[in-house]
Amino acid sequence: MISNIESDLKSKFPDSLLNVASEDKRITLLVKKEELYQILSQLKDTGFNHFSDVSAVDYIADKEFELIYHLWSHREKIRAIVKVRIPREAPAVKSVFDLWTGAQIHEREDHELFGIDFEGNPNLSPLFLEDWEEIPPFRKDFDTRKYVKEKYYQEDEQYPIVKG
Amino acid sequence: MEEREIAFLTVPFGPQHPASGHFHALMKVDGETVLELEPHPGYLHRGFEKLMEYRIHPQNCVLADRLDILDPFPCELGYVNAVEKIAGLEVPKRGRYIRIIMTELGRILSHITWIGVLSMVLGFDSANKIAWGDREKIIRLNEMATGGRIYPCYLCVGGARRDISQEFVDETSKALDYLEGQLSFYDYFVFKNETFVMRMEKVGRMTAEEAIDLGATGPNLRACGIDYDVRKDEPYEVYPEVEFNVITREEGDAYARSLCRRYEIAESISIVRQLLNNLPDGAFRMELSPVWAAPEGESYFCLEAARGEKCFHVVSDGSPFPYRVKIRPPSLSHSLVQFPYLVKGSAIADVPAIYWSLDPGPADVDR
Amino acid sequence: MKKLTPKVIKSKGEARAWSVWAINYFTACGFMELLPWVGSGYDMERFGILAVPTPRHADVFIIAGYVTRKAAKRIKMIYDQMASPKYVLALGSCPMTGGMYWDSYATIKRVDEIIPVDLWIEGCPPKPENIGHGIVMAANAIKGGLEGH
Repeated sequence: MISNIESDLKSKFPDSLLNVASEDKRITLLVKKEELYQILSQLKDTGFNHFSDVSAVDYIADKEFELIYHLWSHREKIRAIVKVRIPREAPAVKSVFDLWTGAQIHEREDHELFGIDFEGNPNLSPLFLEDWEEIPPFRKDFDTRKYVKEKYYQEDEQYPIVKG
Repeated sequence: MEEREIAFLTVPFGPQHPASGHFHALMKVDGETVLELEPHPGYLHRGFEKLMEYRIHPQNCVLADRLDILDPFPCELGYVNAVEKIAGLEVPKRGRYIRIIMTELGRILSHITWIGVLSMVLGFDSANKIAWGDREKIIRLNEMATGGRIYPCYLCVGGARRDISQEFVDETSKALDYLEGQLSFYDYFVFKNETFVMRMEKVGRMTAEEAIDLGATGPNLRACGIDYDVRKDEPYEVYPEVEFNVITREEGDAYARSLCRRYEIAESISIVRQLLNNLPDGAFRMELSPVWAAPEGESYFCLEAARGEKCFHVVSDGSPFPYRVKIRPPSLSHSLVQFPYLVKGSAIADVPAIYWSLDPGPADVDR
Repeated sequence: MKKLTPKVIKSKGEARAWSVWAINYFTACGFMELLPWVGSGYDMERFGILAVPTPRHADVFIIAGYVTRKAAKRIKMIYDQMASPKYVLALGSCPMTGGMYWDSYATIKRVDEIIPVDLWIEGCPPKPENIGHGIVMAANAIKGGLEGH
């Protein structure tokens, strides 16, 4: 079954698939960002109806974000992992909210914590943080220890003492 | 004649509420019917995934406990398995058995806590107090094996930190016998109680297609007829060697979800008994240095927590600190996607019943 | 027949000490060790402590566990709604020192920057026996004349 999915995708999207790897119950794809929505839509038609999550990794040295989509097919019991690299300046992809309703909340979380824009998502308001004025906190250039030491702890050479 | 405007009342299901944990939702109501519900999580957010990048692996195992307060073992299990998969480590057999014994005991504990909280919000105080008393049996077993009552800090990369003694094996068998007797008591007192059935039957109903589209996993999905259990579909650790059933029901309402969890307690008791009977001898962990570093690479590991499918994605760059840890919580979909969908059109008095029949963990949502 | 003599309450502290009502607010992970107190294993009702749903009926505010910035505003609101005399108990290491999340950008490190705290019970989380020791210590202090705020 996995070989069917592989050959199907390779014939439909010949230039977008950069790498395809398959194991016992998993298929991993590395794709280009131009046809991402079409590839995900094709995977949904093949039977991957459960959307697990979408996560992001900040490769600051390469100046890129890597978005990783995890999907599962209830009928065939196979997991699909789709990876795509997008530039770090003004990151944006098309939302997959219309394919899976449950995807909306994961995209909202990534928008708040990484600053990635998902075009077409109906609700991208802040989820966990209130009145947050710094850069998105999960990016690699936000140092949480430096932020906490400046905001909450007193200046001391020996060890930090809590203010107050 | 002047124009009259009709406005709907906004009622908070607030952060300080006996039935809500620490979770905030705004309900727009028309009389007693809820028209719309808007959830506002974030009161328990600590930024776990960022904190884990600053700590080495033994420290992360201690921190990972606090991800889900009511069910700490799967969180530790997921983290150590994901890291071991990157390095390709082979954990000794006894260590694997010990891990799954403690995880299944944690599943029983989580489901009994759920019975207690659900009874409390329905107003059924007697079942609440009895459930809190039954929790103590398993918490004392935790303390005997690991030293910690609620937060065990028990697993490490390469096995478990301490061995279990023969006294623990004997006490566990006694506790399992007691809990099996209690299950028949719960059947008579709670699950066949006429008031409980009337409050839970036909409330918060989901069809199978709706459940898959909304991202449901765990007992919520199995109550709609889909048999998805990561322990059977992508087996890990010692699950290929034990026999158990996957519990499904057909109705998809709150009562079906409750029955799924009740029968899962019985299955977990049977799994622990099988593991205790076949416990192998030998080493229970690999000896690794505390600043052991995984090689470069990444891995994705899924497991079945008490609430549903929990996944860990760990990226390592060759240093003792992980580069990125991403946790997929099962309750994110329960309380932020399924709960607003199921509550539309129901009465205000049914809102806590629907909320706790989905079994969310507020700390799990926010991390 | 034995003559019954009534017990005379001598001070207002004695009247307050064994009837302290706590507000029902499940703050964070430190609360998990207050649950045995609600049940019949350790039973706080024999000490006179009831869990009430509204702050206007409550005497003590138990802050169990860490406090995030988002929750800090609500805690101040609830504290203001309680009527005097009132007491505040901090449970766990996180409210007073930052605890395990000392380097988290989303939690506040000392809750007594917002509200005054009367008693701090340490632990992560403290065992139910520790909490009982703290409750009895607080009740004896109230009986001895500790004025609420």
